[in-house]
Amino acid sequence: MEVQDMLYPKSQYIETATGNRVSRASVLCGSQHIVLSGKVIVLSSVIIRGDLANVRIGRHCFIATKAVIRPPFKKFSKGVAFFPLHIGDHVYIGEGSVVNAAVIGSYVHIGKNCVIGRRCVLKDCCRIADNTVLPPETVVPPFAVMAGSPACHVDDLPEATPDLMTDYTRSLYHHFIMVKEGQSDKPKRNDSTAKLLEI
Amino acid sequence: MTKQLDPSVCNVNVAPGATVCLEGDFVGEITIGARTVVHPKARIIAEAGPIIIGDGNLIEEQAQIINRRPAGSEDSRQHTLIIGHSNVFEVDCLVEADSVGDNNVFEAKCRVGRGVAVGRGCVVGSLCSVTCPQELADNSVVYGSDHLRRQQQERPPAQALQLEFLNKVLPNYHYIVKPKKKGSPAAEIITS
Repeated sequence: MEVQDMLYPKSQYIETATGNRVSRASVLCGSQHIVLSGKVIVLSSVIIRGDLANVRIGRHCFIATKAVIRPPFKKFSKGVAFFPLHIGDHVYIGEGSVVNAAVIGSYVHIGKNCVIGRRCVLKDCCRIADNTVLPPETVVPPFAVMAGSPACHVDDLPEATPDLMTDYTRSLYHHFIMVKEGQSDKPKRNDSTAKLLEI
Repeated sequence: MTKQLDPSVCNVNVAPGATVCLEGDFVGEITIGARTVVHPKARIIAEAGPIIIGDGNLIEEQAQIINRRPAGSEDSRQHTLIIGHSNVFEVDCLVEADSVGDNNVFEAKCRVGRGVAVGRGCVVGSLCSVTCPQELADNSVVYGSDHLRRQQQERPPAQALQLEFLNKVLPNYHYIVKPKKKGSPAAEIITS
């Protein structure tokens, strides 16, 4: 998985002390309840609902545009609450995916346009293919590939998946390059080796 | 400095007891019933006529409820989209139906097109598209990638507990559209 350079204008993204790069066009509700552990990239139009419950996202995660990360709803004996959502390290969440899971492990790859149902549990090193629908409360075992709607276990991942996902997310972070305003002129757009991010 | 909706673009009548987050796309004339919760970033677009939303509905973020003017038709024809009570519009669903009954659930990323009349208690599953003009019978369920259909015995459960929780929690984090009083001055919304 060779990663292309993605250029982003400096003014559109906020870079925090721990290296998180968060788009200004994303919507982070209740940001005091959202923890980004470091080197997390959040592209534009992402919605993270920290106002409903705590959201903790591990290191080196990559959340592509238009994804929605919202904690699931749970009825307890004493009432109702939104359950905190934990996402592990080195997780890639594809474009437009809706994540309602309770727990996502580390080294997970979620494809584009997926729907992860309420209170799902995704264990480490699994992969969700594009356009899959995970019904509520599914548990996805480690090293499984789930596809389809409703999702079925279609394939297995190799044992080297933690290393592969670590490499992938690290190189995504490295290739996410900041462009200072003065340099982002038109000739760069035709450059075939890099694409300017649409904001 | 209070932010409010731009009155030249939309006219949102919010009943008391409803929680409508300001950060959404509202176009046209919209009436929202009591105890309804509209999450931020929802889009309610009343292009070809008003949209009347009943009580106790739950409209999540990125949901789109559109009363669309059909392409190429005369502008004067107005069609009111009436949405019943206790419906759930999950994340990123798109509803352009002719009418929506009560107690329906539109799951995440479903698409309901024009000409569809949704009955009561229907469930349109995730990533399913119901686009040909048709009438969805009461308590029917559309699900799966093959768009299978079946009838349920009873309607989906109501989300009263969740609505109550959201009505308490959302005002702490978001600007809420005030229940409309006639003649109130409205400042322009500041887009970020």
